[in-house]
Amino acid sequence: MAGGFADGARPVLTRWSSLRARESRLAWLLTSPTGLVVFGLVIFPAIFSIWISFHDVTLRNLNDVFHAPFVGLENYRNVVNDFAFKFQNLRQWGAAVTSVVYSFAATTLTVLIGLIAALLLNRPFRGRGLTRAIFLFPYVAPIVSVAFVWRWILDPRPSGVLNDILMRLGLIGAPKAYLATRGLALLLVIIFEAWRYFPFAMLMILARLQAVNNALYEAASVDGASAWQKFRNITLPELRYVLGAVFLLRLIWTFNKFDDIFLLTGGGFGTNVLPVLTYQFSFRAFNFGKGAANAMILLGILAIFLIVYARTVMRERG
Amino acid sequence: MKEGRFRSATEGRLSLIDRLARSLTWPRFIFALTLIFFLTSILFPFYWMVSSSFKSFAEIAGRRPAYVPSALRLDAYKALFDPNFTGFQDFGVNILNSIKVAVPTAIIAVIISTLGAYAVARLRFKGKAFLLNGILLVYLFPAVLLIIPLFAMLTQIGRSLGFSVQDNLPILMVTYLAQTLPVALYMLANYFRTIPAEIEQASLIDGCSRFSVIWRITLPLSIPALVSVAIYTFMIAWNEFLYALVFLNSSSMFTMPIKINAIFNSPDPRPQVVMAASTIMTIPVVILFLALQRFLEEGLTAGGVKG
Repeated sequence: MAGGFADGARPVLTRWSSLRARESRLAWLLTSPTGLVVFGLVIFPAIFSIWISFHDVTLRNLNDVFHAPFVGLENYRNVVNDFAFKFQNLRQWGAAVTSVVYSFAATTLTVLIGLIAALLLNRPFRGRGLTRAIFLFPYVAPIVSVAFVWRWILDPRPSGVLNDILMRLGLIGAPKAYLATRGLALLLVIIFEAWRYFPFAMLMILARLQAVNNALYEAASVDGASAWQKFRNITLPELRYVLGAVFLLRLIWTFNKFDDIFLLTGGGFGTNVLPVLTYQFSFRAFNFGKGAANAMILLGILAIFLIVYARTVMRERG
Repeated sequence: MKEGRFRSATEGRLSLIDRLARSLTWPRFIFALTLIFFLTSILFPFYWMVSSSFKSFAEIAGRRPAYVPSALRLDAYKALFDPNFTGFQDFGVNILNSIKVAVPTAIIAVIISTLGAYAVARLRFKGKAFLLNGILLVYLFPAVLLIIPLFAMLTQIGRSLGFSVQDNLPILMVTYLAQTLPVALYMLANYFRTIPAEIEQASLIDGCSRFSVIWRITLPLSIPALVSVAIYTFMIAWNEFLYALVFLNSSSMFTMPIKINAIFNSPDPRPQVVMAASTIMTIPVVILFLALQRFLEEGLTAGGVKG
């Protein structure tokens, strides 16, 4: 009998809920542009990518993508059997294994250096503000600029500045082709990652460090604890969760990262990782189905990381 | 007298050395050493970039690296901008392209994310959690996974609407919006939550509409946050590489990162020109960052640049 109420006699409850309905409508109106962009350009493409990975999409039928022939798991088979993808021997790791090794090593080093930098900046000294700003430079500068400076520093000729410095110090006898030597190239892209992304870890860790209760350290000093004991028993436990979170975030982003390796080595000399391989399949060989299948495998490995991480963290937290 | 003065001087000197020795404990020494190591390894590449851009060809191609350029030669910069110089690169066009993409990205991202962030921070509605989670998904998907379907999808749409996806700067800008909106929305929503809701409620009771409350009260109070979000999204678009690499084909449409990549990979490599172009691209970003460091850092820790 809702229609029976006269306008003035509408119960408070109904008016309240119509206010809430209006608020809700306004909210949808306000969020719809963001929602549309994110759905149209992220969520729909992601789903479409699954579809592409099961179809034969190449440059030929790109103009008529929705009629591409279904090929089942053919693309996945092609990827897994590709010599660039699969592990063959200890010298030819393939992109899947290289990706995992590279991401874990680079993330560990990044978090470690970020932790050292955060501990440095956590103690007061003259010029701390400026130092903190400078520490963020590698993370803020455009990737293209820093990658090409690194390549120029690592130039394989004797005129390359790292070669010159190491030869003057007598550490190496002959110039090295850093980014064109198996092993060394992978090591250097890992160091590059740590150089570029430690500021992110540093900022997160620093924010947490500054929230640690000082009374804990004072109490430890009274008890005669050494600096190492304080670090081991107070700082590290306090940082545990932030370290875990930073590690996970950086692991995901490093695993997904395309630019850095593409610009430094182009994926050559034992540094080919899954994102670069995806690009090569799709935009060098123009086999979009194979590229999408490779990207799906990448996402699958990422999902495994996340599940394992969630399980261990949940078990730890009880 | 004379002897006494001499003695006090030596004592003064001794106590200075003494003080130095006392202050230079092992932890301090290690601290200073680590700090110096960090500063050199961070700053040296930037020094090398700027200094190399001023070197002559002889200094670049010499048998030993020149640690300091012998003069501030502008040859590399002339190669970028002077049409009469050999190996002219017409870099001005590329700077303009980068601005044409990055500035609208920043402005539109701020407008759209302001609306969304306001709703997330202030209004109660069903599906808020769903929306926020959907936006978080952006963090998980690798750009390289999205570029394939985006490329296929946009080619298809372009064909039916009669535009080309290749060399199309507005299309590139739209894809940048998708990368920047989530970050912008989170940063702004966090900021809006810090503005006391009572101020808005007072005006709502006075009979102002929601939109006029947003326009007259929330936005003026949020100018610092709006500026940093704008700078932030600008920087993401300015630095972006992969999408521009896929979508842009002709040199006159390249944004700076793609042009620098092209100069670097040209058959006649000239590192000093690459370094000059890199310097030009890096300086505005670093200056903007230093100017707004405090605000931007909050953004970085709030989930920040996906990178």
